[in-house]
Amino acid sequence: MLKNLNIWFLSSLIVSLIVLIPILTVFSSFFDETSNYYQILKDTFLFEYISNSLILLFFVLIFTFFIGTGTAYLVSFFEFPLSNFFKWALILSFAVPPYIYAYSLTAFFENYGTAFTILKNLFGDANYNENIPKLDGMFGAILSITFSLYAYVYILARASFLYQSQNLIDLGKNLGFSKFKSFYKVILPSARPAIIAGLSLVAMETLAEFGAVDFFSINTLTTGIYNSWITFDDLAFANRISSFLLLFIFSLFIIENLSRKKAKYHFNSRGGLKQKNKTKLYGSKSFLAFIFCFFILFLSFLFPLSQMLYWTLKFPENLFDLQIIELFSNTLYLVLLSGLLLIVFSLISNYGNRVSKNKALNFLSTLSISGYAIPGVILAIAFITFIAWFDNNIIKSLGFISIKKFFIGSILGLVLVYFIRFYSLAFNGIKSGYEKINISVDESAYLLGYSKRKTFMNIHVPFLRNSLLFIIILISLEIIRELPITLILRPFNFETFATTAYISASEDLLEAAAVPSLFLILIASLFIIVSSKYILRENNE
Amino acid sequence: MKKISSLFLIATLFVSTFAVANEVNVFNARHYKADAELYSKFTSMTGIKVNLINGKSGALEKRIIEEGADSSADLYITADAGRCGAMDAKGHLQGGLTSAAIKAAVPKSFRTSKWVGIAKRARIIYYSPERVTGAELSGMSYEGLADPKWKGRLVIRKSSNIYNKSLVASLIENNGKKATAEWAKGVVANMARDSKGNDRAQIMAVAAGEADIAVANTYYLALMLSGKKGAEQQEAAKKVKAFFPNQNGRGTHMNVSCAALVKGAPNKDNAVKLVEFLLTPQSQEHFTNNTFEFPMIDGVSPSPLVVNNLGLDFQQDMKTKLASYGKNQAAALEVMTAAGWK
Repeated sequence: MLKNLNIWFLSSLIVSLIVLIPILTVFSSFFDETSNYYQILKDTFLFEYISNSLILLFFVLIFTFFIGTGTAYLVSFFEFPLSNFFKWALILSFAVPPYIYAYSLTAFFENYGTAFTILKNLFGDANYNENIPKLDGMFGAILSITFSLYAYVYILARASFLYQSQNLIDLGKNLGFSKFKSFYKVILPSARPAIIAGLSLVAMETLAEFGAVDFFSINTLTTGIYNSWITFDDLAFANRISSFLLLFIFSLFIIENLSRKKAKYHFNSRGGLKQKNKTKLYGSKSFLAFIFCFFILFLSFLFPLSQMLYWTLKFPENLFDLQIIELFSNTLYLVLLSGLLLIVFSLISNYGNRVSKNKALNFLSTLSISGYAIPGVILAIAFITFIAWFDNNIIKSLGFISIKKFFIGSILGLVLVYFIRFYSLAFNGIKSGYEKINISVDESAYLLGYSKRKTFMNIHVPFLRNSLLFIIILISLEIIRELPITLILRPFNFETFATTAYISASEDLLEAAAVPSLFLILIASLFIIVSSKYILRENNE
Repeated sequence: MKKISSLFLIATLFVSTFAVANEVNVFNARHYKADAELYSKFTSMTGIKVNLINGKSGALEKRIIEEGADSSADLYITADAGRCGAMDAKGHLQGGLTSAAIKAAVPKSFRTSKWVGIAKRARIIYYSPERVTGAELSGMSYEGLADPKWKGRLVIRKSSNIYNKSLVASLIENNGKKATAEWAKGVVANMARDSKGNDRAQIMAVAAGEADIAVANTYYLALMLSGKKGAEQQEAAKKVKAFFPNQNGRGTHMNVSCAALVKGAPNKDNAVKLVEFLLTPQSQEHFTNNTFEFPMIDGVSPSPLVVNNLGLDFQQDMKTKLASYGKNQAAALEVMTAAGWK
């Protein structure tokens, strides 16, 4: 018995330690000397970093809130043309990472861009450039992040609306509220935890966003960390900004966790269990609902997709230059390897938590899910710093050969850092699956003479199958889109769709970035379509 | 048991081949398709495999630095002398690029024993012939960009851009830090908008009428004129003209794409061979026709697009040592930042 416990404990301990490495690295250099960059920066840039991060956060939260809850409300409570299609089509925006959205915006709106071409073809030659809004800089970054991330709010809000008891809705009606008022007074407040959970995910991703923000050269805390590390060799200061950013993100993380707990409570309170009736919309109302959803689908998904498609067709030579099969197999390789590791370890940890009910173990698991809150750039930097330190100070002094090659610029290092970043996705996913299996099921199994292993294999795993599938898809999506970690840690001659797109774009070859971007969007869409029923949680309960 | 065997399976998936091979490892921050073609040509000629890790220069440099003596990098190829110089200053390069072939090909101010230029570019002024008169431009220099007559008429990239850092570093080298600090304030006061976008976007801003003059590298206009960027940009490029500053003085600011020999390079000999290959007339011609840079060596002419539209007979600044770009880099950024250059 005790021996068994130790295995769970040990594996949880290892996972937690691995995940804690970057965090400890960041905080340990908090008091290091910084170079005079700090002085220059303090005078001019630090304020800009913070205010840019806050401006970005503020507008992205407002926009994702309105778009996410607005669309969720429409498709959950009303019937209008294509409402069933929009229900899942709206999550396709997940397939377009912010940096690809940024490329599309630039391609379309820049001087002599696609918008110019369209106007010229429609109305003949003229200088349209002055009249085409330039959606770049801060505004471009806000749009890119908003349209890529609103689906977090949409999915969670919709799930919450779906399980809202009909009684609550009837209550609004009985009180004589108008539709808007009952939405505002009854529906929205009871979905609040879910919406806040969605918004805090958006907030974390926004603060951690690198690709789009870097593309529009907006200096935020995250790009500031990268720059002070890269340009000024000031790791100490990079880490100091990181600690600042991390404190910020952790508070969001806690908010998210708390509201998720509440959200769960709401999901389960399906009071009345009455089948909810969707209101059928007619006439202009139905048209407006349709237009709103279509507009959002168009802006978030169809627009970047068609811009990338247009460029691929306009500059077809780029299509033939790309090693599509190799890029695809590289991506798949990373997905499979990381997926397998993540699933195995989070299953072990979760099962360990379940059978041991050990407080310390529980605490360790909670720690180990913090990786998701840390921007990929910081994780990668901290990982390299740690390996270099460990190698120079410990491995070498013990007389062993350098381990750097095994961890920096290797698949192993890459997958390890993915593991740190996405462990919480896997862990939480399996955890919520486990919570649906009542503990009495285990007890009955033991009474029937099942061993722990048999209980796990024959009872838990089949029960968890849907959760596992969903998690694999989620991890795949994340890894397909992942940029900074892959960029910094990948081995020689190893590219993914994301890195190929980014590198072309950074060399001002946006049209060459279109092909890998297009493939990335298509593959991610495929994953989303396959898994939409899990994401939308309808058959899951 | 099953668990163990699956763990074993995972472990085997990780093991990459560490076989010793005839190869050269390039940390590459130049991502032109044309470069990749050159590398495969090199492989088929010599049998030496070129391993590439592509990335932005900053991140690649970091990896070389953190990997230290154990770095697998042989060559670091990037598009700015300032970067090679900075890596040298930090002690991460080694001497060895001193073969007769290299010395014969590359002028002295464009190389050190640790890094050499492999292709040249000039950072010049683009103007709208409709809105800028010949008299205004007459005798124009980089120093002149701070002249109040350009108020609200100038566009240039952000201060974080390496080409700008090298340009300003060369000004510091020639005029001193204090004068350059004043100059930077004048430039910021003249900007038509806050700095944003890449070099090509600056040229297009002039074409579109947002500004009258722009500072950008030479090859961008040729790239636009080539039609590789589509018909619209080709049209736009025809609306701007190139001007080579400082013709009455030290000459136009030149920069290079450079190849640097990394300290501890495991395949040093192959690295030198690759650099020599990049300096052959055949490779140089490939550069000039595809990336529209100026050749590093004599006897190869730039692309006709560059010759016909930018002119060839301009005086290059051969006096200012390119090594000073790396040396003055931090001061350059400090000066720009202090002036409020975004």
